[in-house]
Amino acid sequence: MSTNKAKDSKPEGVAYSEAALRNNAVVVEYCRTSMAALSGSIAGILGLTGLYGFAFYVFAVVSLWVMFMLKTGPNWNKYYISRQSLLTNGFFGGLFTYVLFWTFIYGMVHVY
Amino acid sequence: MGSSVYKAIVIVGFISLFHSAFSAAQHRSYLRITSQEFTTLPLDIIVQAIASLFAVMWGVLNVAGNLREIHAAAELNTVKWETQKNLPSFYIFNHRGKALASNYVPSSAVKSDLENLE
Repeated sequence: MSTNKAKDSKPEGVAYSEAALRNNAVVVEYCRTSMAALSGSIAGILGLTGLYGFAFYVFAVVSLWVMFMLKTGPNWNKYYISRQSLLTNGFFGGLFTYVLFWTFIYGMVHVY
Repeated sequence: MGSSVYKAIVIVGFISLFHSAFSAAQHRSYLRITSQEFTTLPLDIIVQAIASLFAVMWGVLNVAGNLREIHAAAELNTVKWETQKNLPSFYIFNHRGKALASNYVPSSAVKSDLENLE
């Protein structure tokens, strides 16, 4: 439980629980990795090629974000510091996982 | 809803995903046998794949664990005052107040101790 020491100087400062923040980051990271692997498999099954595949990744990232928003409801502020960073964090890290699964499943389904 | 429901959603979604993958592979081999050109998959395979993607994503989102409130005071606010002031180190079980009771009998051990002191 970390309380902000500089709270007295800034009246607007909000104290966040570090353990809860870390717990939420772990949950978000888990979902993001699974989403990248899954959507990569789907893109491979559908036989997407070229830019369509990357567009599908963007679509999957945005739909995961929408699902997070649906899960928390209107008071998302209680669980995340910012919505934008929830959308954009780890975008390229997930992209590599996505491309891995995309090419693998594409080869399994469409080539062989 | 419990976590087992979401686990079931994940499992069913994965089975549906594998089914659509095999359907796509079979469609591809059918096209190869009949020597047609591949354009797109049939619509039902696409719909099944996308639907299973959403199902598994929603299941994983709920299986992954609960989000906790990040405000530091959020979990402290739920603690009751009875819990907060409960300090076991300051429990007192034996004190002089019981001498005020009408049926109080001084124990003989204490009495003899007092007599020995004099």
